Amino acid sequence: MISIDQSVMKTDMLDLENLTAEQTALEIRNLDLKYGDKQALFDVSMKIPKKKVTAFIGPSGCGKSTLLRCINRMNDLVDNCHIGGEIMLHGQNIYDKRVDVAALRRNVGMVFQRPNPFPKSIYENVVYGLRLQGINNRRELDDAAERSLRGAAIWDEVKDRLHDNAFGLSGGQQQRLVIARAIAIEPEVLLLDEPTSALDPISTLTIEELITDLKSKYTVVIVTHNMQQAARVSDQTAFMYMGELIEYADTNTIFTTPKQKKTEDYITGRYG
Amino acid sequence: MGKWFKSGSPWIWMTSGAVSISLIAVLGLLLLIAWRGLSYFWPADIYEWQMKNQQGERYTLIGEVYDKEEVPTERLIAAGHKFDTDVGDSVTRYLVKTGNREFVGLDFRWILATDIISRSQPENIAVIERSKNGDFYGFPIAIIEDGKRLTSQNIEADFESYIERAVALNEQALKLQKGVIGSINYELENLRLKARSYELKGELTESRQAEIDAARAKLNAEYLVVEKEFFALKTEAGRDAVVIRDMRGEEVTLKMDTILDVAYANRLSFIGKVGHWFVGVGKFISDDPREANTEGGVFPAIFGTVFMVMLMAVIVTPFGVIAAIYLHEYAKKGPITKMIRIAVINLAGVPSIVYGVFGLGFFVYMFGGTLDQLFYPEALPAPTFGSPGVIWSALTLAILTLPVVIVSTEEGLSRIPSSVRQGSLALGATKAETLWRIIIPMASPAIMTGLILAVARAAGEVAPLMLVGVVKLAPTLPIDMNFPFVHLERKFMHLGFHIYDVGFQSPNVEAARPLVYATSFLLVSVIVALNLTAIGVRNHLREKYRSLEH
Repeated sequence: MISIDQSVMKTDMLDLENLTAEQTALEIRNLDLKYGDKQALFDVSMKIPKKKVTAFIGPSGCGKSTLLRCINRMNDLVDNCHIGGEIMLHGQNIYDKRVDVAALRRNVGMVFQRPNPFPKSIYENVVYGLRLQGINNRRELDDAAERSLRGAAIWDEVKDRLHDNAFGLSGGQQQRLVIARAIAIEPEVLLLDEPTSALDPISTLTIEELITDLKSKYTVVIVTHNMQQAARVSDQTAFMYMGELIEYADTNTIFTTPKQKKTEDYITGRYG
Repeated sequence: MGKWFKSGSPWIWMTSGAVSISLIAVLGLLLLIAWRGLSYFWPADIYEWQMKNQQGERYTLIGEVYDKEEVPTERLIAAGHKFDTDVGDSVTRYLVKTGNREFVGLDFRWILATDIISRSQPENIAVIERSKNGDFYGFPIAIIEDGKRLTSQNIEADFESYIERAVALNEQALKLQKGVIGSINYELENLRLKARSYELKGELTESRQAEIDAARAKLNAEYLVVEKEFFALKTEAGRDAVVIRDMRGEEVTLKMDTILDVAYANRLSFIGKVGHWFVGVGKFISDDPREANTEGGVFPAIFGTVFMVMLMAVIVTPFGVIAAIYLHEYAKKGPITKMIRIAVINLAGVPSIVYGVFGLGFFVYMFGGTLDQLFYPEALPAPTFGSPGVIWSALTLAILTLPVVIVSTEEGLSRIPSSVRQGSLALGATKAETLWRIIIPMASPAIMTGLILAVARAAGEVAPLMLVGVVKLAPTLPIDMNFPFVHLERKFMHLGFHIYDVGFQSPNVEAARPLVYATSFLLVSVIVALNLTAIGVRNHLREKYRSLEH
């Protein structure tokens, strides 16, 4: 049975149920989330593998962005938000009281739906996270800026105007700048919340190529409502519906032979 | 008609009409005070009238026309005026400024056109600006140098050079008085306070007393030398005099050291008048007031206004911004926060005089009085900070304008997109770091808007200041060359109060009226200048953080 599957699917396919500790970047255990009285996530459990691209898909309001924002505790900013369950990173629950949220977020970077550069120069945007850590050495910052901008595939476009205002860039460039800003502090995990939904098709393509490159160094988790995009960039895909994790499997499996009826209905366009 | 209503045209007309009326009101106000105020400095034509009075006696009148009005003949007849001929329903009446206050009693008088026999404009009438008693009109005849009457061919040129000499000497004397003599007095006072302070602490030993006495003796000796120099300068300045024939035909001797300037207004070309006008405006802006504020310039008032407003801005900005940040970023959203916010907004509606009373009671008497007892016991019972002063005025106005700054800062904070905050937080910044590095810089244009509104309000506020620091005439500026250079406890002059003082408290209403307009115009200009500076800064900041327009 297993040998047949391997011939059909990618050879590096992982057994998501039984990932070893070394292969796991994050483990979500029985996560419940309530906004006031309204429950948004129901008992979500999954393991996210290291240095892979994991996509969350599902119809609007299914909780995929909420789940993503739990991973770097962005939901803390929302009043009345109650979270149960655990998210384990390096064997520690990130919702533990002793966890330094700022340190967690340095380790789990995030890129948002709309590009949100700061009203500063391109250079200052990239080194913002480093300055926060108290790094002010010019050489160090210069090196980090170049490395991150190259990593985000935008170096060639901005190298001559590093000190111009970041708002002079196009939307796609701004989004890559924001990615550069996120990887400048070298997180382990990079969360992308519909990173291309506000961009044109060409910029989208560039970002998608970039995401594929990023997985060599980072664990990437991407939320997208675009199934083609999930199919193109991700290694495994989680399908969510009404706050529940319906199916989580290798991307090929999800898109070719989904086990759940709901997943099949969604990817064949019956709703969503 | 119905169609016209439906088209929306009446609405457009109504709204644009409202805008036009506002615009006309503002421009009209500015034009009126600018015209009335600035024309004061334009050298007017000087006339010599041959007049006859009711008894048929002839006399001469020299002066400039200030005002003109039509008076019903009946009223004049009822007032006891008799007319030889029929003069119609009304008679023109002129208000003439005759100057020469010490000789004619009143330097303004009304004359009837029917009493005028003839009018001429002699070119050699001199308008003499004096440091006392206002202007003098007359014909210069001779110079008296050191008691000897000189017969000069070119009296006018000589006259000017003698004036220059006297003015220069007077200036030197004044510089000496304000500079060296001022600091000697200041140091003597400090010595007295030092001795008193030792005395209060019971530490006034013989050696210290001797030390202070020695210093005092040294200063007194210095003072004697400077005083001698001062009086020598004064005597030298008062050496000469000029003989003027006035409108009564009498020869009057004016001492040269009371004369500031002379002009022959009837002879001036247009360019000459323009030059004269600029000199007049310049003097008005840069000189000290004279003659109970009805003559001279308003420099101390400009300085006081600007200094106090800037001090207020320095106090109110950090306070308001910090309060707004707490209210908007940290305070829990709830009924209490809401109530505090409403209270803050309503504070802006409290009448300003109430703030004045509060400032007097709290800042001046309680706070200042305590400061005096703690830090300046040697000066008591004379208060140092325990009496109205520029710092208390600035603080009172800071409280008055605090709501404005808080409200506009809060508005600015709420306009910053949450995506930017989250972007910063997602990079591992704490809330405080996000505030400090991203939010406050982005809110700075809004903070500047608050500051602009605060400055505009504060610069025009007079009522509370009358209780907490403004005076009619401040002998010294709040900044001078005596250590510690900035004297926040001093009283100061203010343009707004100056207007009130000149307009309502002046002994010479007619002479003061143009000054009221001129000072008003100046006050408006100062506020506009302060605001333009702030708006310039804000626009620069907006350009820098223009993300808000996305």
